[in-house]
This record gives sequence, structure tokens and C-alpha cells, in this order.
Amino acid sequence: MSGATTWDDLLGTALVGTTRRAVDQLTIGTETIHADSAEATVLAAAALASGYRRAGWTPPTWRGTPAPPAGPDGRPECTPAATQLLELLLNRGIRVEGGPELLAVQWLNLAKNAGRRPPYRLIVDLLRFGTVNAATRALVRDVVGPRGVWLAQHNPSWSWAAAVPPQDVVERFATGTRVERLGLLTDLRATEPDFARTLIEDTWADEQAATRARFLDTLHAGLSANDEPFLERALDDRAATVRAVAATLLDRLPGSARARRMAERAKNLLTELPDEPDQEARRDGITDHREPGYGRAASWLIQILAATPLSTWDTGQIPKAEREVIIGWTKAALRQRNQEWLTALARHQPSPELVAALNPRAATDILDQQKKLDARFGGLLAAAPGPWPAKFSVEIVNRLRAHKANNVLQLAATALAEHLDPQALAAVEAWLLTVAPDEKATRRVLRGIAHALTIRATIKQEFT
Amino acid sequence: MAQVLAHAPDTSSAKAARGLTNPRTWSDLGSNDSLVWGKCQGSARAPYQVTVDLTEPAFRCTCPSRKLPCKHSLALLVMWATNDGAVADIEAAEPFAADWAAQRAGRKAAAGTDRAPDPEGQARRLAERESLMSAGMDDFERWLHDIVRQGLASARRQPPSFWDAAGARLVDAQLSGLGARVRAMGGDIHARDDWAPHLLGELGRWYLAVRAWRRRDDIDDATMGDLRTVLGWPRRRDDIGDRVADRWWVVGLSQQEDDNSLLSQRTWLHGERTGETVMLLDFAAAGQALKVAHVLGSIVAGEVARYPGGGPRRALLTDEEPKITQGAGLPHATDVSPALDQAAHWLAGNPWLRRIPMALGDVTVIPGDPPLLVDRHGAALTLAPETDIWQLLALAGGHPVRVFGEWVDERLHPLSVEIDDRLVSL
Repeated sequence: MSGATTWDDLLGTALVGTTRRAVDQLTIGTETIHADSAEATVLAAAALASGYRRAGWTPPTWRGTPAPPAGPDGRPECTPAATQLLELLLNRGIRVEGGPELLAVQWLNLAKNAGRRPPYRLIVDLLRFGTVNAATRALVRDVVGPRGVWLAQHNPSWSWAAAVPPQDVVERFATGTRVERLGLLTDLRATEPDFARTLIEDTWADEQAATRARFLDTLHAGLSANDEPFLERALDDRAATVRAVAATLLDRLPGSARARRMAERAKNLLTELPDEPDQEARRDGITDHREPGYGRAASWLIQILAATPLSTWDTGQIPKAEREVIIGWTKAALRQRNQEWLTALARHQPSPELVAALNPRAATDILDQQKKLDARFGGLLAAAPGPWPAKFSVEIVNRLRAHKANNVLQLAATALAEHLDPQALAAVEAWLLTVAPDEKATRRVLRGIAHALTIRATIKQEFT
Repeated sequence: MAQVLAHAPDTSSAKAARGLTNPRTWSDLGSNDSLVWGKCQGSARAPYQVTVDLTEPAFRCTCPSRKLPCKHSLALLVMWATNDGAVADIEAAEPFAADWAAQRAGRKAAAGTDRAPDPEGQARRLAERESLMSAGMDDFERWLHDIVRQGLASARRQPPSFWDAAGARLVDAQLSGLGARVRAMGGDIHARDDWAPHLLGELGRWYLAVRAWRRRDDIDDATMGDLRTVLGWPRRRDDIGDRVADRWWVVGLSQQEDDNSLLSQRTWLHGERTGETVMLLDFAAAGQALKVAHVLGSIVAGEVARYPGGGPRRALLTDEEPKITQGAGLPHATDVSPALDQAAHWLAGNPWLRRIPMALGDVTVIPGDPPLLVDRHGAALTLAPETDIWQLLALAGGHPVRVFGEWVDERLHPLSVEIDDRLVSL
């Protein structure tokens, strides 16, 4: 070799080895290297040349245009203590009864209501949390704010949180996969329900039955009287699945024409069972589906009552009503979300389903009226929504303790951890002190509840 | 714990000691201000009597092992250091422990209160170590020649044991720093796209270490310091160099866990007055807190002692109680080009330097494959594959930010980002 040795020459020689390529002397820069052996010459040249290479390295120039940055977030950052708690909850660094997810959701709700934002360094953890816990996504998206929505655009697994620019929605809906389109509809229903419905109607005729049924199902969110004409038309769909979804949605609109037709059918039904449904009734969604434990006629009755506006009746009729009538009204109350009827029915005969649909105060009132603290009570307590009033919280803990209702404690442990007012902490701790050391399960649950209450109290304090 | 295990003569003793820390294999455990003692049921019928003198520390065990300290002594020390109540505080030591302590005290008294250093012994041990290292270097040079003779392509076809065995021979020759670099190559050679230039560069630097070792009597103190770092020949704590007082901004922390569950932390400091960047190195056993927890974004006003070597220098915080205040981000951020000039300057002083600190201003994170960090002139640095790109993006939000990181083999490992005048760790 003669002249200056380039790095590539040297590398080529080294790759094949000096047994295959003879080396006498090498010139690196201005230095001529000629050592005792070919190997030593190559090694010395490598030392020098790689030094030059490393020191002389120049960066490539990037000529792209960066994506627009995230928009500003006017919300003040939450306190350092609140940040620390959220970090522990998201990384599952704490053991609490019911799991840290419940408390994370409470944290998010309080942050949202207080108008505070998490620090940017927790946004990735929050998006991962929302990806795993799909039910929390709307909440997570609100809390992560513009920074999180911006970040989600860069990562397909967070697309649920990404904002789709309005001008892109129509295009994306026309070209996306079914899952993407469903995601778009679900998002849109939260903000622009009428626009979402128009999108569905635009391509309605060309969609497969299964797709039509799934699209129609998205109307559950943001359902209003505006949707009625479309639903009424869907009752005539050629697919039974689509007709069933339309009927289910109309069950929730007591002001609709179908509800009035049902009310007409329901007249006189408190005293006699209905006849075989006619074609009109079939169109309105009455089927031969049997209510478990009831005959054909009773099952029709239940379906008709479940779809009839509750304003047709008076809650005073409840105590004298037949069992199948109660079932029909219960379904109607749940679908129409009628608090008056839900409360009246729960007074008559409480069930976890009814209690879960009540507002917290009404639910805890029902619980207060229960005399026996048995397993059935445990089921009701577990179903009751929160937050529970402070007075009820303290009293329920003391009642459970006085009656040694350890099985209720176990059944409703998660609800107690999630909904008890933090003021009940003293009562929980007092109970814990009196539990014998060998009652390990009870002690563990009480400790978990106490822990959750402490954290909840702290969260609350950090957002006021 | 790391300090305890640092007494282990080799890694196998440290490992064996961990296996013996179950208090059930022990009896008569206790400790006072200066001694820890206990009896350990080993393979012999009578339990071994184990005593550690904490003041030195010095070790005594009745087991037949020739290793000093033996695994029993180490295990005892680990249990004591764990401080979970297994080793109780007891005023009066067990007789076997007290007797040994008394003997030692007697010997010490006989030798005078200040134990006279033994210069002859020290010189002899040093000469022994150097000749062992020289022999290891000769062997290593032959191995390097072999690779170049056969060619890099053929080296790549070697099994992992090829690199492991060479690394182990270096460790046996007290050249553990080189050993670690050789072992790492066994993985890099398959993991890296640029394995060939990377290997050739490393071969050159290793060969440079061999040559520098042979001329160690001629090279200056700073180069000798860098050479010692490459070889893995640590300095004694009292043998390190000049001291500098400054307000040191803690600009980056990097923690790593090695195969032996040893946690190490590099802390990068930037001197406000001197403009110098130095690095502190701390260790702890995994799961344990570091003895010195430096807080990112704080300012430590105090004195550090710098190890001899080229920049950026390793240092020790020598102030017992430095004054710590809150800092305001990254004070010395520059564009990419001056940062690379500084890197070239350091490399000219220390050709073995691998980890180069960089404080970059106004850089934008560009997601992609690979993700980039681009300054306002468009100069692009590639981010290391293990970078948590989502976290970096979330913090920056697409805006230009200041980033501190380590530049290793032409990849940037970001360690911290400045957000609202505060440094956030990555």
C-alpha cells in the first residue's frame, strides 16, 4: 500500500486479516506507521485512525419539518404531594383494598374537578393506565389535557386519546377499519352526538348487518330525542340484530312514539295478561324471548311494561302489584333512569341492581332501612354507589363491628374502601384494635380499608 | 451492603456469603460498638466461631477456608449491615470474640499505637501486582495479534466463550477494566450494525493500553490516571488528587445494576465558577439506598477531590457537610457543534474515553426510527435505542428544550431535561 490509508482500507484489511492481505506500512494522516509486525502495524493504525475518526465526527443535518408542538395547558400543576400519590397508584406501589386503580380514578376525578393538571412526566404512565383500563379513557383524556392528546398522536397504541382534526373525521370514517370507525363514533358521540349519527346514516345502506348493529350501539352514549327518527326507521331493518339494538335504545326514550304505542298496549295489563303480539307489537320489538321462570304471556307482559313510560303508572301501585309487573317496572326504571321509581322499587324490595342505579344518598337511605346484616345486605352494600355521606359511613362501620358482620365486611370490602367517607377512618381503626390477632383475613381487610381512606383523605386535601 | 461486599476477595465469596445470611444457620449472634460475632453451622460438627472487628475491619473465623475474609465472616457482616434485628446489640461479647479482640489489642499495643507502615511489604506487593499485570498484557497482546491475523470477520464467528475467556484471563491478571470491555464486545459484535468499525476502534484502543502500560514510567500523571481507569486499577482513596471548591450543579444521574446486583450511580456535576464537569461514582447493593443520594437539579457548594486524569474527571465529594440549595436547570447548555468540539478536546486528552457528557440547548425531539435530537441549526444526534422516547416527548411536548446526556459511541443517552427551570430525570 502507498499513500494515505483511508479508514475503509484499514477496515478492509482488518476484516480479512493479515494472513490474507500483506501489510508493510500504513499512513494515517501525516503519520507513517511501520511496526515490528503486520499485526502491530494494523493495531497501531487502528488506534490512531479511530481516534481521529471519533474526534472528527460531524453530525448529519436533519432537513425535515418538526410536527407542530403541543398546545398550551392553562391549568396549574397539581401539588407535589398529589403527584407523589398518583405516581404510587399508577406504579402499583401501594397495597390498598380494591386495588390502586380505584383510587387512581378518584385522583383523576378530583383533579378534573379542581382544574389541575398532572406533571408532564406522568403523562406516559397515565396514557398506559388508560390503555389498560379502558373504562377510564374519557377521564384520562380530560386529565392529561392538550399535552397528552398531542403525545397520543405519535403512538398508535394511544390512538384512543389522540385528537382527530375535525376536517379529517369524515375522511377517516370513510376509509378506516371497523375498529377505528367505532372509535371515532364513540369519541364523537361524547362531543357532537348529532354529527356522529349523521355519519352513521351516510353509509348506513352499504354496511353489513353486524357493522350496522355495532354502529347503532354507539348511540347509547349521548342518546337524545334527536336520535328517535333514525331509531324508528331502524325498527324496520332487515336484520333482527339491528332491530333489537334499535328497540333497546328506544326503551330508554320514554317520550318517543314507540313508548306511546307501548303505553297503549300496556293499558289494562295490570289485571290481565296480554294476547299473542300482533305485527305492530312485533315491529316494536316484542319477541317470544322467555323471562326465566315465567310463561309466554307473562314474558310478553314484562317486555311491554319494560318499554312503557313509567309516567303511565303511579308508584302507589307497587305494593299491590304482581311479581311479573314488578319485574317489568324494574326493567323500565333502570332503562329510563327514573330515580323516583328506582327509589320506590328499592324500598319495596331492594336488589343490588336497583341500589347500584340510585344516587348515593338514596342508596344509603335504603341501606339504613335494612335490619339484617346478612350476605344479602353485603351484596347491597357492595353495589351502592359513592361517595357515601359521612354520617352513614361512620354508622355503617360501627354497625358492622357491633354485629360482628365479618362476612359483610369481606363481601363489601372494595365498596367500603372506595366509598366510605374518610371521617370513618377512626371507626375503622378502632375496630381493627379489637380484632383478635388470629382473625387474619378480617385484620387484612380492615387495614386495607384504613389505608385506602388515608390515601383518599390526602388526595382530597391536595385538591382543595 | 456494597461496602461490605467490597471486602469480598472475589465474586464467588460474595455470592456464597449471600447464601449464608439466613439467621437460622446461626447462633449466639450479637454485636457491640466494635465487634460482631456469631456461630455458623457449617459442614463440620462444631459450628464455626466467626468474629469481625468493625474498627478495621478485621476478620476471624475458625473455618478451614484460606480466603480472607471467608464467606462466613462476610455473611455475618452482611446480616449486621442489614440491621433487621437478627444481630442483637449486646454489651458483653461472647468469650471467643472477646478473647480474639483482646489478643489483637495486645498485638497492636506491642506494635505501638500508630502501626508503622511497612514500605518494604508495600513495594513487594506492588511489584508482584505489576508483574502479574505485565504478564496479562503480554498474553492480551498476543490475543490481539491473533484477531488481526485471522481477521475481524473470523472473530465475529467465534462463540461467546471466546470473548468471555479472554475477559476472564484479563480479570485474573488484575486487569478487570479491560476484561469488562472485552466481554462486552462479545454482545456488541452481534447487536450492533456497525460492529466492524466498532471492533476495529476498540482493538486499537486496547492495543494502545498495552503500549501505554509498557511505557508507564514515561507517561504523565493524568494519562496514567486514564490508563488506570481503563485497566481497572483503582486508586486508594487517600491517593487522589487536587481539590476544587465550587458550587456544583447536579445536572445528570445515571444508575446501573451489574450482574452481581451491584447498583452504581454516576452523578454529573457542573462547576459554576470553574465551568468544569466532573463525575461522582457511588455504589450500593441492589435494593439498598445509595449512601449518598445526590438530588438532580440541586447545587452542592463544597470541595471535591479530582482523580488524576484527563477531562471530564472523576471526583470525590470531600466535604462532609456541603451546602445544598435548589438549582435552576441546566446552566451550560450549548448547540451540538460546540458540544462535539468539547468532546473532541476531551478525546484528544484521553483516547480511551467512552462516556462524554453533553449539555445541549434548544434541541427538539424528533420521533422516528431511530429518534433524533436536533438543534436549531439542524445538527442531528441519534438517541440511544434504550431511550424512553415517550417520556422525553411528553416532557418536551414538541418544543425545543435543554437536555443533558451521555454521548457514547455516537449515540446520545439522555439523562435529564429542563422543564420550567427544573431538571427532570429520564
